[in-house]
Amino acid sequence: MTIKILLYAAAAIALFSCVGLVIMKDVNEKLHYLSPPSTVSIFLIAIAIAVREGWSEQTVKAFICAIAIVLMNPVLTHATARAARIREFGQWVSQPHERAEKRQAGD
Amino acid sequence: MNAWLVTAFVLMLGLIPCGIVCFTRDAPTRLVGLESASMLMVLILLLLAEGYQRSFLFDLALMLALLSFGGGLVFVRFLERWL
Repeated sequence: MTIKILLYAAAAIALFSCVGLVIMKDVNEKLHYLSPPSTVSIFLIAIAIAVREGWSEQTVKAFICAIAIVLMNPVLTHATARAARIREFGQWVSQPHERAEKRQAGD
Repeated sequence: MNAWLVTAFVLMLGLIPCGIVCFTRDAPTRLVGLESASMLMVLILLLLAEGYQRSFLFDLALMLALLSFGGGLVFVRFLERWL
């Protein structure tokens, strides 16, 4: 029963993220929906494997996989956002008009 | 069909929205769809490995997780400079 709850929760989170990926308009908004499956879902699946198998080779591999994804996915997400911004504006640093808008918003 | 395989099948349905994003949007958004699809494939491989009790599929999932990171960075580099 515990395993089913963990698996179905992981699947639901991943599916809602996929739906959000289609619904959102901007690439930066879509990038947010990469996080739930790569943090919550994969750890729920790894915990389900640990519950079923105990301390075994499969459990270790599943947790190595989960840790690798949790560490690497934010880097990839940031790199993608950076590339999208450079592609749109030509450079990574903020533009003068953007800084002026921020100052006005702060006032 | 056990719960692992049912969950894997349900997650395969999640590849459809990723495919829609990959085939219909602009280049940076397509890359986001590709990254999401590779993430889902890692989850699906883990579930299939446990569902079918095949140990080598865990290695495949781990390799896909590592290589999709490298592949994603290569795509990002090309997207940033040349595409």
